[in-house]
Amino acid sequence: MSQLGQVIGILRKLNDEYQISTPKKLKLIDAYLVYVLLTGIIQFIYCLLVGTFPFNSFLSGFISTVGCFILAASLRIQLNTTNRSTFNVTPERAFADFVFAHIILHLVVINFIG
Amino acid sequence: MTSTSLMRIIIFILPIFSWYITSTIASNLNIVNLNGLKAQFQTAIKSFSDVASLHYTLGGVKELGVQLPDSHCNDIKKLVDKSNVESIYHATEAAKTLVNCKLPAEDYRSTLTSVLQSDESKTADIYYAVCSSVNLGLNIDESNIEKRLNTLAKTDDSILSQAYGLLTGAQLSQPIAKYYADTINDLVQQADEIDGRILQYEGGIGTTAFIVNSFYEVAEKAGVSIKTDPKQLIKFATYFSSKRHVATLRSAYYLTKVFKHLCDNKNPVPIVVSRISPSAISPQNPSVLVSITNLLGQPVGEMSVVAESAKRKEDGVVVISKQKLIPKASDFSVYELPFYDTKIPRGFYTIHLTLTARNEGKLIGLTDNIIDVKVTSQGTIENAELIVADRDHGAQSKTYKLTYPNAQSDKLELDYHQKLTVKFQIKDKQSDEFMPVQQAFLRFTNKQSKKEIIYLAEATDNGNSQYKVEVDLTTNANDFRYQSDKYELVLILGDSLLQNAYEWILNNNVHLTFHEDSLPDKDYKNLYLPRQEIIHQFREDEKRPPNIVAFVFSTLALLPLLLLLILWLKLGFNLSGLPLGLSPLGFHISHGAAFALMFFYWKYLDMFQTIRYLALISIPLFLFGHRVLSTLAARREKKA
Repeated sequence: MSQLGQVIGILRKLNDEYQISTPKKLKLIDAYLVYVLLTGIIQFIYCLLVGTFPFNSFLSGFISTVGCFILAASLRIQLNTTNRSTFNVTPERAFADFVFAHIILHLVVINFIG
Repeated sequence: MTSTSLMRIIIFILPIFSWYITSTIASNLNIVNLNGLKAQFQTAIKSFSDVASLHYTLGGVKELGVQLPDSHCNDIKKLVDKSNVESIYHATEAAKTLVNCKLPAEDYRSTLTSVLQSDESKTADIYYAVCSSVNLGLNIDESNIEKRLNTLAKTDDSILSQAYGLLTGAQLSQPIAKYYADTINDLVQQADEIDGRILQYEGGIGTTAFIVNSFYEVAEKAGVSIKTDPKQLIKFATYFSSKRHVATLRSAYYLTKVFKHLCDNKNPVPIVVSRISPSAISPQNPSVLVSITNLLGQPVGEMSVVAESAKRKEDGVVVISKQKLIPKASDFSVYELPFYDTKIPRGFYTIHLTLTARNEGKLIGLTDNIIDVKVTSQGTIENAELIVADRDHGAQSKTYKLTYPNAQSDKLELDYHQKLTVKFQIKDKQSDEFMPVQQAFLRFTNKQSKKEIIYLAEATDNGNSQYKVEVDLTTNANDFRYQSDKYELVLILGDSLLQNAYEWILNNNVHLTFHEDSLPDKDYKNLYLPRQEIIHQFREDEKRPPNIVAFVFSTLALLPLLLLLILWLKLGFNLSGLPLGLSPLGFHISHGAAFALMFFYWKYLDMFQTIRYLALISIPLFLFGHRVLSTLAARREKKA
């Protein structure tokens, strides 16, 4: 019981830290990440329920969510000011890369969806 | 002697040795199926369709010694085609066989003359024209024809053409015929040899008979004998006598003619040596009877026939050497060789015969004749035992001794944990030693369904040929289809060298009990009935979830979008900072167009079109995007 209480306490503290220290831009991207994650989970549950026919459609949808998640996560990393030292890109460049990669991702996904 | 010189000697000797071996393989001449030829002609006589069949049938029948009535003359006149030289030839030849059949020579003169003068005529046509002219009594210019033949011989050197040349020569004067008769040997050299036993010409039996017949005709006209190697003649004779039936009347006619030539005492006559007694030698049939005739089955005069050797095929043991055969028939066509002797062991024997003609005649094929016989013996079954043993405890067994022909009187009950073994030996009564047999089987017959299950008895390899067959009621149960029933047990033995075969009922009442349930017999008859028709089934689509489920989940997948909007609004989506102007607008429009293109790609387009459109859209996208982002960057720089 006390362990659970400890875990809850830690989580609450984490949440508070997050709310305070994360800039708004990053929070927006985080919300987007959550959305993408949820969509992916729902797709996966559907596949588990009804089987994998047509497999290519399931794969395409699932990989689309995974791809979007990865791209958004990488955008978030690049936009995070604390990482300025490791990456040498401007936020605009990061965003442009994000859009470009998305176009390619969607091209492939639509091709595969059948 | 060094090894290389030894090798050289061997290589030198071996071909000579093998040539001698092959040259002593005997010719297998058969007596001609004269009745078959007769029957063929007789069927043909009933109705004629063309003048060639008339010629062949009438000619063939005449050769066989039957004279046909003159009424056929009308048939000839009806069927002949006056404008065709071959037809005229057949007509005149057919008319020659009848007693009194005169054909109107004047009708044909024009055709014949034109053929003889035309440059287009082939050797065959020249022959037809010459032969018809001679038959009709018309004059022919011999020197002219000879010249024509010489010209044709230069242009057409096929064998058939040469044969026609010979036949034409046979119609002309004797010197010309002699000239052609000298070419016979060349023609014989051009024949094809098969297996070292047969000589033939390309074109089959009819053509070969026709060509060989032409040799005899021209030799007869020239007054010389056929100067060919007797071995070649025998090979031709082997080829001719090997056909029991021929398809066409032409082949039948020329075959008849050739056989008559080959049995004519003026020419070399091949001898046919064959066995007319049964092949098995036994006390009831102690001698070998050999018939010696010509190809048509006629006797050829007194001969001295000696059996040079009789060798056993298995090991070459010689049992008879240089024994003279006794003539049995008054026309000297049958000779006897006493063979049976208790000392001669069982086996297959080859007897080599050599013939010597008493009279001076031109008989060929006198050496290298072979007769095959077999000596059988009686056998007895000895030491027969039936052993019933337990599968697992092999020591517990019951042995029943059996004697042929007695069967076991009591019933035999066998269970699935037992096995049955039958052992026996067969002894040759004459030589008193155990022998192997070619067939040794143990047969179970289901008394109800009459189904037979047969097992092979195998012998040990050592000298005493102990046979054993083992049936295990668990491993072999499937052979019986697990049918526990009453069976009959029979031992079957047989051999080509045994005088008696055995079908010995060992036990009439064998109860077999198997562990598993019985399976029905395989219905082998059904294997040959039409099978069930297979109707092609297209691949069925995989089952998909019902539409409702899919719809629900689609909306469920879209719900997080709502959540996102709510979260973004809560976080304070900075819509106010959105720059307005051409570039941002352009950027957003082209960006949206890219996504719209994706939708169209999914629905309507293919990859190539999409790529083209995408390339088109990406130009403004990059342009505007670059502008917007640089504006934003500038704005950020300004803020900082």
